Amino acid sequence: MESLPLTEPVLLVLLSLAEQPRHGYAILKDVERMSGGRTKLSTGTLYGALRRLLHAGWIEPVDEDQSPRDRRPYRLSPRGRKNLRLEVERMKQLTRLAGLRITRGEA
Amino acid sequence: MLSFYQCLLYLYPATYRHEFAEEMLSVFRDARRDVSSEARARRIGFYARETWGMFSGALRERVAIFTGGYRPISFARFDMRLEFRFPRATVVLMSIIFAGVILAMRDADRIQVKYGGGDWSIWPSLPWFLGIAFLLTCALAVAVVAVLFALRRTGAHRLESLETSAGRD
Repeated sequence: MESLPLTEPVLLVLLSLAEQPRHGYAILKDVERMSGGRTKLSTGTLYGALRRLLHAGWIEPVDEDQSPRDRRPYRLSPRGRKNLRLEVERMKQLTRLAGLRITRGEA
Repeated sequence: MLSFYQCLLYLYPATYRHEFAEEMLSVFRDARRDVSSEARARRIGFYARETWGMFSGALRERVAIFTGGYRPISFARFDMRLEFRFPRATVVLMSIIFAGVILAMRDADRIQVKYGGGDWSIWPSLPWFLGIAFLLTCALAVAVVAVLFALRRTGAHRLESLETSAGRD
């Protein structure tokens, strides 16, 4: 199971699925768009992250029988959404703390 | 490049391939189409990234099998697939062990002939002894790994939890 803090690919995949269910290629493009082209996932990295998230129950496949085998969409599970919220909270606190420290250092 | 990618997929464990190979291939095809019209440097970057991603991903999955962190995802239609076959890797490892034993026996014969004549000292035999000991240790280690690997591939380690799962249902 993934533990906090999450690796960047995993976090970006979760953020991509937080909005709506997406299949592999859509996730790949969305991650690239979200990071402004800075992060480009390879298919190996993407599916490694997807497998771990599926295994941990953070994401789940959508309508497996109806969707084509090579374009299976995934969505965030309630557990994944909760953990993503926790991670975002953790990052907010860290950002707040970093801002305070930098301001104090400049004063 | 597509056939090279398909070959790289064989680096992954069989269960992983059955679950994701089609999707990965489809995503790779789409991504390749995107970069096909771009500059050569970007295309090379794409292929390098994909190749590296496949190697590192396959290594991570293989390591996860050995460390026990790998459990196939329970898509109903893939349950029990490939769990009870005799793994090819075990056949290879057994062949290596067999070759090791044959070599060790040949060396043992040579040592016996050498020291049968009576003119012997412990020092000339030491490198042979160390060599054979090293070979035997390697063979033993490989055998242990092979047994553990075979047990994991056959799913025998899950038998303990079988009763608990059945009880839960």
